[in-house]
Amino acid sequence: MATGLSAIFMTHRAALLRFLRARGAGDDAEDLLQDMWMKLEAKDLGPVADPLPYLYRMANNLMLDRYRSSTRRERREQDWAGGAGGVMADPTDDVPVDDRLILTQQLGEARSVLRALGPRVELVFRRFRIEGVGQKVIADELGVSLTTVEKDLQKAYRAMIALKQKMDTE
Amino acid sequence: MVNEEALAWVIRTRDPGFDDWEAFTIWLEGDPARALAYDALMAQDADLDAIIPADPVTMPLAANDAAPPPRRVAWRWAAGGAVAAALVATVSIGMMNRADIYSVTTRPGETRRIALDDGTMIDLNGDTRLRLDRNDMRFAALDRGEAAFTVRHDASDPFRVNVGDAVFEDAGTVFNIVHTAKATRIGVSEGKVIYNPEAEAIALPAGRALADDAQGLRVMNVAPAAVASWREGRLVYSNAAIDDISQDISRSLGIPVTATASAGAMRFTGTIRLDRNPARFFSGAAPLMGLSAVSRDGVWVLKPASSREGNAPQD
Repeated sequence: MATGLSAIFMTHRAALLRFLRARGAGDDAEDLLQDMWMKLEAKDLGPVADPLPYLYRMANNLMLDRYRSSTRRERREQDWAGGAGGVMADPTDDVPVDDRLILTQQLGEARSVLRALGPRVELVFRRFRIEGVGQKVIADELGVSLTTVEKDLQKAYRAMIALKQKMDTE
Repeated sequence: MVNEEALAWVIRTRDPGFDDWEAFTIWLEGDPARALAYDALMAQDADLDAIIPADPVTMPLAANDAAPPPRRVAWRWAAGGAVAAALVATVSIGMMNRADIYSVTTRPGETRRIALDDGTMIDLNGDTRLRLDRNDMRFAALDRGEAAFTVRHDASDPFRVNVGDAVFEDAGTVFNIVHTAKATRIGVSEGKVIYNPEAEAIALPAGRALADDAQGLRVMNVAPAAVASWREGRLVYSNAAIDDISQDISRSLGIPVTATASAGAMRFTGTIRLDRNPARFFSGAAPLMGLSAVSRDGVWVLKPASSREGNAPQD
C-alpha cells in the first residue's frame, strides 16, 4: 500500500471512525475500519490524487454494501411471507409475464417522465447520473449556476424515484 | 415521500468531486434516522439503473447534446389527387434534403414523449415514426403509427402535421392521429383542428373525429375524453371496426395482432383496459368484444367467439 494513503489513514483514523459511527455502524465501526485497512493493504494502490476523500468514499461504500445485503435478506423473507398471503389473487397470475415487454414499457415510461421535466433537467440528469459528470462541470457547460444544477437534479431524482416506487408496487 | 435533505446529500456525495465529508458527518450525527434515510435513497438511486433509458437526448435546438445524427428518411407521398397533396408535395421537395429534419421512432410497445421548446408536447405510441424539423418547431410529419399532440397555439404560426397526403392544422389544440397503411384517423379533444386547410378545410372542433379509409372520408363524433386515452392505458371506442382496434392493440402492447376476416369486420363500442401481459389482456378484452384470442407462433389472432354460432374462423 502506498505510504501516502497509509499515513493519511492513520492520521484520520479518528475522523473515519466518527464517520462510520454517524453512518450507523454502531459497535461495528471499529471492525469496519479494520476491514478497510485490510482492503487497502491487499489492493496495493498507487498514489491516490485525493487520499482523504478516497478513504471516506471507501467507508461510505462499505456502509452501502452493508445496507444492501441486509435489505436483500429482509426482502427475501418478506416475499416468502407475502406469497403465503396471496396479495395478488388474480387467477391469471400464473401466466408467465413477458419481461422484455415490461422492461420496454418501463423504459418508455421513464423516458416520458424525464422528458416531461423539460430539456435542461433531462440533460443535467443524464450527464450526472448516466455519464457521471460532476455538477460543477455541468454548470459550466450549460452556463447556469451550481444551484440550478442541484435543483434540476433534485427534481429529476424525485420524479424518477417516485416512478420506480410506482412500478415496484404495480 | 422523499426526505429532501437526505436526497440532497445523495446527490452531493454521488458527485465525483465531492469532498466535504466532515459536513456530511455532522449532518448524519444530527439524527440517527438520517443515515437510514440516506441509505434507503442511495439504494433507490442504484435501482434506477434498471429503468433509466440510456439513449441519448433527442431534442430540437440542443446543440451540445449527444443527439444521434438525424436519420434521413426517404420522403414518400402516397399518390393522391387532392389539391392539398400537390401543395404539400411542393413544400416537401424543398425540405427533402435538409439536414435539420430528423425522425423519432418508437418500437412496438414503446411510448415516448417529445417536448418541443415552444411548449408543444407530442406523445408517441408504439411502432410510430414522426419527423420533426430543428428549424421549424411548428412542423411535424407522422409517417406511421399514432401520436397525440398537445399544441401551444399561435394563430400567426399554426402547428401543422403532415399525414400521408393530408395536412392537419391546429387552432389551439389537443388531438390524436393514427396513421396506418389503410387509414388515417384523427380525434380532437380540445380546441380545433383544420383538415387540409388549403383544400377541403374541414374544421374539427373538440369532440369531432375524422377518418379517411377504404370507406372514404368521414366525420363523426368522439368523446373528448376518449381521444389519446392510450396514454392512460385505455382504448375507448364507439362503433369501431375490430380491424382498427387490433392495430391499436398491436401498437400499444408491442405484439403482433391480426383479426380474421369475419372478426375484423365486427364492430365494438366500449373501453378496453390495456395490460402488459398479453395473455391476461386478451382473456379480459377478447370476450368483451365478442371475440376469442389465440396465440399462434407469437401472433395473436382474433376470431369471433365460438359461442357466436356458424362463423368458422377463416385464417
